[in-house]
Amino acid sequence: MRSALVGLRSSPVTTAIAVATIAVTLLLVGAFALLISNMSGLVERFGREVRLTAYATEALAPAAGPALAKRIGGLAGVERAEWVGKDQALERFRRRLGGEAALLAGLEENPLPASVEVEVAPSHRSSEGLARLREALAGTEGVAEVADGHAWVEGYARAVSLLRTAAVGVGGVLGLAALLIVANTIRLAVYARRDEIEILMLVGATRTFVSVPFLLEGLLQGTGGGLLALALLGLGFLAFGGALQGAFAFVLGSAEPAFLGAGGCAALVAGGALLGLLGSAGALAQGLRA
Amino acid sequence: MSGERGGDALVRLFHVSKSYLAGTWALRDVSLELRKGELAFLTGPSGAGKTTLMRLVFAAERPSEGQILILGRNADRLSPAAVPALRRRIGVVFQDFKLLPRRTVEENVALALDVVGVPRRQARARVFSILKRVGLQHRRFHSPLSLSGGEQQRVAIARALVNEPEILVADEPTGNLDPELTLEIMDLIAGAAARGTTVLVATHDHALVERFGRRMLRLEEGRLVADQRPTGSPT
Repeated sequence: MRSALVGLRSSPVTTAIAVATIAVTLLLVGAFALLISNMSGLVERFGREVRLTAYATEALAPAAGPALAKRIGGLAGVERAEWVGKDQALERFRRRLGGEAALLAGLEENPLPASVEVEVAPSHRSSEGLARLREALAGTEGVAEVADGHAWVEGYARAVSLLRTAAVGVGGVLGLAALLIVANTIRLAVYARRDEIEILMLVGATRTFVSVPFLLEGLLQGTGGGLLALALLGLGFLAFGGALQGAFAFVLGSAEPAFLGAGGCAALVAGGALLGLLGSAGALAQGLRA
Repeated sequence: MSGERGGDALVRLFHVSKSYLAGTWALRDVSLELRKGELAFLTGPSGAGKTTLMRLVFAAERPSEGQILILGRNADRLSPAAVPALRRRIGVVFQDFKLLPRRTVEENVALALDVVGVPRRQARARVFSILKRVGLQHRRFHSPLSLSGGEQQRVAIARALVNEPEILVADEPTGNLDPELTLEIMDLIAGAAARGTTVLVATHDHALVERFGRRMLRLEEGRLVADQRPTGSPT
């Protein structure tokens, strides 16, 4: 560790360039991760709106409603099932009408059917999953008809799929670019100190003795770059997060953009450390061969 | 040294040839022995193979043909992992000093002790002692860049000797120095031989060879064309 610190101190410019490169690269990765995490949160929020309504048969006695909801709650793909009796349905409708509720005064009998409102589990929030669940609900005794907003569900499924593809594709490309940039930067740092490697080998240093300080330096540079990237990302989020919320209020509603969680922050710093370590290892393998 | 063959010969070359490019030879059929405590000069024009021979002795190269025994080890059969242990028993000095400019004199010399894991306190004492021998103890916290050429070479010699090596290899150690400093440096190197270190010095400087009156090995076009020992020395 002492050798690594001496090495970092003895080449401050190269160290600063390596740390800055890692930081900028990780800042891009981190900003992308932040975007994806917020979009995932948004999609998750929309996902909770994916609901099915299983209308009960006319013959079903009101007292049997909760039992039907319980049965439906046990089906695969059901997050939550709630019994909505005829009276409750009318009451909800009345509340929704607000000032126009007087229109309902002339009704001789309640025309609304009783139903079970089904919140769909995340595992079934796809076209196929919903079709399976719809089929299962339709086959349940006491259910007359199943309704959903088909187009909305299709749109939701497409958004999820697009987000996943973008996360894997763009994240993968960014990660690879980060590795190459960092490996190259550290390779230059190792190259700049080839005399030191040569002298160490000359006085009888083992490969391990030569390598460990360089690997530790890479690790420290990577960790430093990761912390710097996290700090810059945090500052950027504080500076622009509010403005973004204002701009996207129509999509986000009252939801506030969220910063990376503890796990995300740790992953960013650990990613920097790993990049530094891998970059050093690759550069050293070349340097020692030379 | 137990286990060393060939009596007290620490370096033995048997019909050694070295080629870097097919059809051309940097060294051709060289055989020689260097005994414990012996000081030998290796002379010859540029391109004669002096540096190649030196590199073979400190195991930076392997022979293309022939055998080379260094401190009883067959250099051609050394595994890469065994090379560092051998190098710790050989001190090397170069014309261009090869000092680290961003480390102090003390740190440069201590490198040779760091690699063998000598504790810091003990290393500092040994570094001080060897720097005192080369007359630079008062400059130990200076950067090599602040030293003269002669002083830098003294630091390089201190680094090469601090581990008390059995062999010292010096490739044109006085090539960059004026005549006065040359004698100063050679006295230090000859002092190491007097303490029992086998020393091989490559040089262009015939006056130096004559002045010290030691064994002279002459290479020309990769061949050992002369092996002259001072009169009265054992053959």
